[in-house]
Amino acid sequence: MQTNLLCKETNAKSIKMSDEIDHPQLCLWLKAVSENRNKQAFTHLFNFFAPKIIRIARSKFPNEAQANEVVQETMSNVWRKAHLFNQDKGAATTWVYTVMRNVTFDMLRKVKANKEDNLSDDIWPIAEGLVSDDDAYEDHLETENLKAVIDNLPESQREVVKGFYFMEMTQEQLAEKLNLPLGTIKSRLRLALAKLKVKLGENHD
Amino acid sequence: MIKHHPTFELLQSFVNGDLPASLSAGIAIHADMCQECQRQISQLTDQIAEANFEFEANFLDRFIIDEEKDLDEIATIDFDDMIAGITASDEIEVLKEKEDKFISFNDTNYKLPDALHNMVLGKPAQIGKLSRSRIQLDEDEIHSSLLHIKPGGGVPEHTHKGFELTLLLDGSFEDEQGTYVKGDFIMLNSEHQHHPVSEHGCLCYTVANDALHFTKGINKLLNPIGSFIY
Ligand SMILES: [Zn+2]
Repeated sequence: MQTNLLCKETNAKSIKMSDEIDHPQLCLWLKAVSENRNKQAFTHLFNFFAPKIIRIARSKFPNEAQANEVVQETMSNVWRKAHLFNQDKGAATTWVYTVMRNVTFDMLRKVKANKEDNLSDDIWPIAEGLVSDDDAYEDHLETENLKAVIDNLPESQREVVKGFYFMEMTQEQLAEKLNLPLGTIKSRLRLALAKLKVKLGENHD
Repeated sequence: MIKHHPTFELLQSFVNGDLPASLSAGIAIHADMCQECQRQISQLTDQIAEANFEFEANFLDRFIIDEEKDLDEIATIDFDDMIAGITASDEIEVLKEKEDKFISFNDTNYKLPDALHNMVLGKPAQIGKLSRSRIQLDEDEIHSSLLHIKPGGGVPEHTHKGFELTLLLDGSFEDEQGTYVKGDFIMLNSEHQHHPVSEHGCLCYTVANDALHFTKGINKLLNPIGSFIY
């Protein structure tokens, strides 16, 4: 898991929703913007995110100029707030998404309620960001241990276990997502659990 | 211990930014007090972010081939111009330290939840053991308030035509279903009928999209004040 040294990947990554997104690369660009005000890195980020943000904004705002404003605002915030991105707390996509969501929320309030109170940063504080996974689990050591054991499972079993336990997907949802028969999901899960039991049992002794 | 949480669907809409400010604030305040919901929100944000940007990547590919008209619209932005404009500024965001804010009811100071820091609070109005301060969010039929109940006070038995969110910020109250404590997120719809009473007093954040409707005997006379409370 070499990439984890560079940047925490999003949970979703592990179940292959995102083979096309190069998370460590996005993190490096963000870092270059934050540490060196690197315009080249920002241009890469812009080219990756801006077209997607436009499409998303167009679904929320009927007006083209407003959608363009979401891009302008979101990417300005990325430029100005890159140092607030904490790669230990989440993926770059997650962070940019929250920036975009907040910009959109404030703009929609401006359009609908005619209010310019910019409440989004109080409701979703960007700086504090999300709780890290470590805070979220009660027993930190136990979780680390479990993660290590899971990471050692064969790929086919690992994605099923992660989807089932960490993303709380049902076996049916996993079958659909991974495009596998339900029986295969069940047997992979069973195999993986048997292994986990042995491994965790060993570690406890 | 907190027993009442927002539904999964509400958390999802919250993360998407699809809820009105009033309900979004309610969920943010609850999540500040509830580790479990905080964890769910964090996971959901990861997934939704991923899905949004991933989906868009695929979608865009398809649509570029299909619809030239839309392509023209996208081309109306000069990306290079925008990038140059943004990076011309050296400004970076400096975080201001958050100062705690307080609100006073019945000679007690309560810390105002962070999510409400920049909302405008109306002057508290009082009826009997109830005081409420309207929150000026201008969300049409949705009304948000801080509602304070003095010890022994309560809201007469009522139903609501829409929804009613009560989020306990401090203290506790009881109704037919049991006792509610600080952090409980209680979402009721028009099927529910209840009669909350607070033995020791409490402060709630409330959001409702319609006036209360009192259902019993003499209390029916109170219907005009239904709109006062929520
Ligand atoms: Zn909760």
